[in-house]
This record gives sequence, structure tokens and C-alpha cells, in this order.
Amino acid sequence: MNELAREHLVRGVDHAAFPTFDPAATVRFYRDTLGFPVVHSICAAGWGPEDHPDFIHFFFDIGNDDRIAFFYYFGLPTPGSGEGKGDVYAQFGSETPEYFVRSRHLALHVDSEEHLLEYRRRLDASDWPVEMQIQHETIESIYTHDPNGYFFEVTRALRPVTPQEDLDANLTIDALVDIVNRPDPSMDALLVRKAELILERAEAWEGERVVRATSSGPGTRTTGAHHLTGAELIASPEGPVQR
Amino acid sequence: MTNRLFVLDVPENTQIVEIARAQPGVSLDKVGPYFVVTADGGVSVDRRSSGARHAVWYSWIGGLEGWRITQWDSDGLRLDPR
Repeated sequence: MNELAREHLVRGVDHAAFPTFDPAATVRFYRDTLGFPVVHSICAAGWGPEDHPDFIHFFFDIGNDDRIAFFYYFGLPTPGSGEGKGDVYAQFGSETPEYFVRSRHLALHVDSEEHLLEYRRRLDASDWPVEMQIQHETIESIYTHDPNGYFFEVTRALRPVTPQEDLDANLTIDALVDIVNRPDPSMDALLVRKAELILERAEAWEGERVVRATSSGPGTRTTGAHHLTGAELIASPEGPVQR
Repeated sequence: MTNRLFVLDVPENTQIVEIARAQPGVSLDKVGPYFVVTADGGVSVDRRSSGARHAVWYSWIGGLEGWRITQWDSDGLRLDPR
């Protein structure tokens, strides 16, 4: 068997790309306000189909050499009416719930409260002040909208993720996959199915941890040591909610 | 019939579990890294006594056996047998 077949090989975000119709404000927000360096740009004559406009593709460093990127297309009008909710990429009617509009967002990680508050200071002194600062279960986040209307979050971990939270996440997702294939999926159905999975697997999981801890010595984290970076906290985002 | 509530053992949940355990007829056990709250009848947990933040309060339940949630709001949580 291919020795890589079961390896988790990816190394974070190379780039996440978004369109912009206001590159000047986008540069003011990401480079001049937040201090994210410009690390790459492409000036491209329209390529591919003949109706493809000339465009600039530009990138900001968001830490770890990961990047957020934008496309600015010369002469392309902004789609949508500009009314209602959403951003320059996706617009929704005013009847669309705010939690849904905000569900798709980018969250960047910082290592400490001091660093979170530094970004709060930078944003509050700009045209895009922080709209909310919220402590969720195990993270604290600040939120604003960038000049394109994209919902933007900076977050820090209030504590490291524990190994049992990895187990819990997997039981939740296995329960979810089970119940969405049945009629009328609901929180009630999920919690009932998850209880069954807890009874099937939680005891054995604890037993395996004890065995591993014994064999690897005291003080050794037994599972998912990479989670201590806190980066995975972002990968399971809590939707922003009002306290 | 005995009903069981499963709650992950993490720091945010311990105070909530203590409030549940303090009620008459309620016992507390563990299965792996989960607290198991057990009782024959209904159980209520007062939100304010728990001190739980919004996001913690609305996400602390791990699994349900026998009980149905009949209240889960800013005042508290109520579990009644199905």
C-alpha cells in the first residue's frame, strides 16, 4: 500500500481567494490597517476565454506564510444591486437571517490576548472598527467586515484543546452523519445517537489513552499534540453569537 | 426508568454538572471522559447558578438517553423522561 495513503499531508492555507471591486480600500484594510505584508501579485492580461478581463491578483501574508488573495478585474461592474445583505461576492435578501449571512467567514489566529487587543486597536482606529468582541466556549474573537463586506474574525484560544475534545468532536460528527440520513434530523436525534456512540466508544478510548500514557512516560500528551497550537480551534468555528 | 445525560469532562462544564448532581435523586458517574448524570425523574439546571457563558450554556450537553430536553433557554435546562 502507498505509504502516504493514510497520512495527513496538507500544511495549512496556501491562499484563500476573493474578488474585490475596491482594491484601494482592500489594501488600506489588510496592509495599512492590519499590517499584513503584500507578498505576491500578478498583473495579467485577460487569459482564457476572450471575454476574460485584464486583472490584478494580489496576496497578503496572514501568518505562517499562509495568504489571503484578491482578484481585481478591470472594468467588471459589481454584480448585484448593493442592497440587502451579504458581500460583493454573495448578496442576500433582507429576509435572510444574519447568522446565515455571517456563517461563511475567515478567522485568523493570534497567540494571546495582548495580540488580539493589538488588532482591536488597529481596527478601532480605522474605518472598519471592531463590531463585536465575544468569548465563546474556549476562544475569544473580534469581528468586523472588510471593505468588500467579507466577515472577518481574529481569534485566540482561552485554553489548549484537550484530547477528550477530539474524541467528542468525532462522536458528534459520526452521530450527525448517521442522523442526517434519517427522516427529520434534529438536535434531539443527534444527542440520542451520540449517547449510543459514547457508550460504545468512550470507555475504550480512555483505556487506550492510559496505555499510551504509561508506555510513553508521564507528562506526555497522548493524542493530537498538534492541537496545542490552537489552529484547529479555528477549524471548528463557533458561529458568532451575541452574548 | 433510569435516564442518563452525558457531559464531556472539560473545565467549562464542571460547575454545571455539580448543580445537576446536587439535586435529590441525581447521581453522578463517569464513562470514559464523560460525566454521566443519572436520575429516574425530571432534572432542572438553573443557568445563572451555573455561571456559564452564552456559548458554553448552549453547547454543554453531550448525549441523551431516556430524557428529552423540554426547556433549554437563558433561564435554564429541563430534562423530562420521554
